[in-house]
Amino acid sequence: MRPGSVRSRLLLAALLPVTLLAVLMAVVFVTVRVIDLEELHDQQFRSLARQLATASEYGLFSGNIVQLEVIAKGALLEADVQAVTILDAQSRRVIVVGKSSFLTHPTAGVRESLHLDNASGIDRVLQPVMETQVKLDDLFALDQGEDMRVPQVLGHVVIEFSHRSMHQRARNMVLVSGMVALGGLLFGYFLALLLGRGLIRPIDRVSDMIARIASGDLSARGEVLPHDPLRNVQQGLNQMAERLESGRDELDQRIATATLALRQKKEEAEAATLAKSRFLAAASHDLRQPTQALGLFVARLAQLSHPESTRQLVGHLEASVQALQDLLDGLLDLSRLDANAVQVQLRPFALADIFDPIRVSLTSVAADKGVRLRVRPTEVWVMSDPALLQRIVLNLASNAVRYTEKGGVLVACRLTGGGQQVRIEVWDSGVGIAPEHHEAIFTEFYQIGNRERDRSKGMGLGLNIVERTARLLGHKLQMGSRLGRGTRFCLEVPLVAPGTAAAQPVQPENRTFDDLGGILVLVIEDDALAREGMVSLLESWDCNVWVADGLSAALRGLNAGLVPGLIVSDYRLRGGENGIDTISAVRLACGRAVPACLISGDTDPTVIRQANAAGLTLLHKPVRPAKLRSLVRRLADLRVQGGGVDLM
Amino acid sequence: MGLRLRILLLGLWLGFFATAGAHAAVTLVMVSSDRSGAYLEAAEALLGELERTGLPRAEVLHLTPLEFSGAGPLAPKLFVALGTQAALTLGKAEVRAPVLSTLLPRASFERVLLESGRKVSSQFSALYLDQPLSRQLDLIELALPAVRRLGALWGPESQGQAPALKALAQSRGLDLVQATVAGNESLFPGLSQVLEHSDLLLALADPQIYNSGSIQNILLASFRAKVPMMAFSPAYVRAGALLALHVSPSQIGLQAATMARGVLQGKSLSAVPLYSQDFQVSVNGHVARSLGLSLDADDLRARLWHREGAR
Repeated sequence: MRPGSVRSRLLLAALLPVTLLAVLMAVVFVTVRVIDLEELHDQQFRSLARQLATASEYGLFSGNIVQLEVIAKGALLEADVQAVTILDAQSRRVIVVGKSSFLTHPTAGVRESLHLDNASGIDRVLQPVMETQVKLDDLFALDQGEDMRVPQVLGHVVIEFSHRSMHQRARNMVLVSGMVALGGLLFGYFLALLLGRGLIRPIDRVSDMIARIASGDLSARGEVLPHDPLRNVQQGLNQMAERLESGRDELDQRIATATLALRQKKEEAEAATLAKSRFLAAASHDLRQPTQALGLFVARLAQLSHPESTRQLVGHLEASVQALQDLLDGLLDLSRLDANAVQVQLRPFALADIFDPIRVSLTSVAADKGVRLRVRPTEVWVMSDPALLQRIVLNLASNAVRYTEKGGVLVACRLTGGGQQVRIEVWDSGVGIAPEHHEAIFTEFYQIGNRERDRSKGMGLGLNIVERTARLLGHKLQMGSRLGRGTRFCLEVPLVAPGTAAAQPVQPENRTFDDLGGILVLVIEDDALAREGMVSLLESWDCNVWVADGLSAALRGLNAGLVPGLIVSDYRLRGGENGIDTISAVRLACGRAVPACLISGDTDPTVIRQANAAGLTLLHKPVRPAKLRSLVRRLADLRVQGGGVDLM
Repeated sequence: MGLRLRILLLGLWLGFFATAGAHAAVTLVMVSSDRSGAYLEAAEALLGELERTGLPRAEVLHLTPLEFSGAGPLAPKLFVALGTQAALTLGKAEVRAPVLSTLLPRASFERVLLESGRKVSSQFSALYLDQPLSRQLDLIELALPAVRRLGALWGPESQGQAPALKALAQSRGLDLVQATVAGNESLFPGLSQVLEHSDLLLALADPQIYNSGSIQNILLASFRAKVPMMAFSPAYVRAGALLALHVSPSQIGLQAATMARGVLQGKSLSAVPLYSQDFQVSVNGHVARSLGLSLDADDLRARLWHREGAR
């Protein structure tokens, strides 16, 4: 039983008074009885002494020692009597029976006296033996003053007695009293248990019910009994449980409804996003094919000799195609980021390697707008992916130039983070961004103050791509801006010691392409327009081009004895064929791994993954002539170095 | 009239009567040791007899020894003393009239004589409370004819009668077994010796021997020795003695009245102290039965009376 539980408290309340009463009664009873016993004990020996004195009178009167001895021995038979001594009138010891502890006895007086001897524990009662007075009312007696006569003392009787039997009786009494008290206590205990059960059971029942409710079982109900002392509590508890249960059910219902509504909204939103993605993918694919061809044609056109007026026109045409391709590149980047298909390749490199191209590519644009562009030279090396980092900084810098009408744009870097980080900063003195837009500018297609969607202001993809790329690289991107005063973007990049690894400077794209001559390129493309653009571009680079619209055409060419030095295949081909399968089939037919690359208008992440798995370089439409040329040249080098190729 | 004056007048009036009473022909002054019990009984019997024979109560002055000492000079024709104390008071007082002492044992009267320095004469005589030894022996002969050895225990006061008893016993053919107990010694050795050799213990008044404290043990001893006791008062019979010969207070009173009558009529008081003429016999029936005896007190008295009358 726990101390402090209801049961133990009840027992305590019931037992404490009983215990106190029992102990008190026992103590009082025993005390009173022991006093009584002592009195009785003394009284007993006083009586015995008186009897003995009366019986000894004639023996003392007549000096009958034998008779006195018989009387004394008779008295000695009484319990606790140690010795009996009879003294004569002169206090001489006439008779001593038993073991007397005293040599002399105080006999003065004619009254009975009790002497307690604490040292020996032996008490003595002295009883004088007096003559029996017989009332003589005759004339002789009256005449002689008989009524004034003092009775004579014939002697004394001394009884020595111990308290042994009395003590034994007292001990027995204490024992009995203790047992009675204990019995009373036990009886009280059982009575308290019995009576307490009537209260404890309802409390236990209510406690159990509360525990069940506390553990969440709101269906718990207690039975309401007519004679239950806790009837009202039980009823109240039942009502409370009912209300709790109905309240919870109602809440569950509401939550379920709200969850359902939320799920529907989410599904709608997801469906919308999916639709948008599909639309974008489909639209970009459909746009890529003609844009690809357009680019190739314009590039081819620019290589021809034209009158000055036409050349100017071709220049504008090239610029327009460039803008179109930039837009499609942006969409492509988004798709790649969505597909987690961007491979990050961290390595140490000099920050100047990316600052210089930025300056080169933006100087003319800035100059056209009358904006001063400053790219502050730097010597630091950083740990990052140079291509991705360059794209971020270029994006930020071109954005800055775009939104600055007067003043300047500054690209610079400084050490921070206790010398462990390099902070690349892009400052402009442009229109700035209002505080309410600070969060939103990183979302897709978000543009401030471009309701009319001026193409020269871009599509609003830049900052979104920047933010996601920076996150991918693990670089911290910050933005500070004041409306009308300018904007500052900061990107923190880890610093490394200079010259930590062999520098791999970004391949300059402007290369001469007079060394591609003589290579036989197999172009597999089902779209005639795109095929024509590709062929004309490749031929402009002095390549020999062999065209096939599918696998069967390619195989026919092989059978005719053609040996391709390079395969450029579209991914999506007529009749459900795809570029990857076609390339592997051609390679099989050739009996060697002919260098090959894949071109696709699809931004579908699955295509990107499949291409990676097949070890094929995937170029997205519209392919920029410079990019294609670079790739073709690299693949041609591989072919020259030795047949087999290990494509990245 | 103030309260104090009233009390004074009342006192004077009472004083007049007292003085007048005292001097008005007081013929007899009776001094009683006490005014209760046996003394009163004896006094009433005496006064009643005197009144019956012509002496009015007014002529008798009844005083206690203390009152007598406080009273003035008295000149009655006779002084009667009831009890030893009264006798001693009158014996020591200078009175001209004769003094009759009664209701006292012979031993006590002899002590009064000794203490007051008077001599027995017609001026100072007595009527004893004890019974004459011869009457006692007569009763023994009548009641217990088988008794041959008579036991007697003498104390200081009774010792004087020893020779008389011895003579009387011998004259009647009885052996007297006697022992004397000194004042401070235990009476049991003498008692047991007497009881051992006698058939009857004759108790004679002596407070040193027979008193309320000793009587129980003496009777117990005599009972154990199967020797009955003849005592001198009914109290002893009640305590366990077989029988007693004694005189009642009214018997004494009557005899004293007869003697006073004689003195008042001009006779002189007996110069020799007298024993009572009348007597009574008491018997303890229980003791008698336990001893196998059949005694009747009235019959014994009658026979004793008859024997004395015949003598």
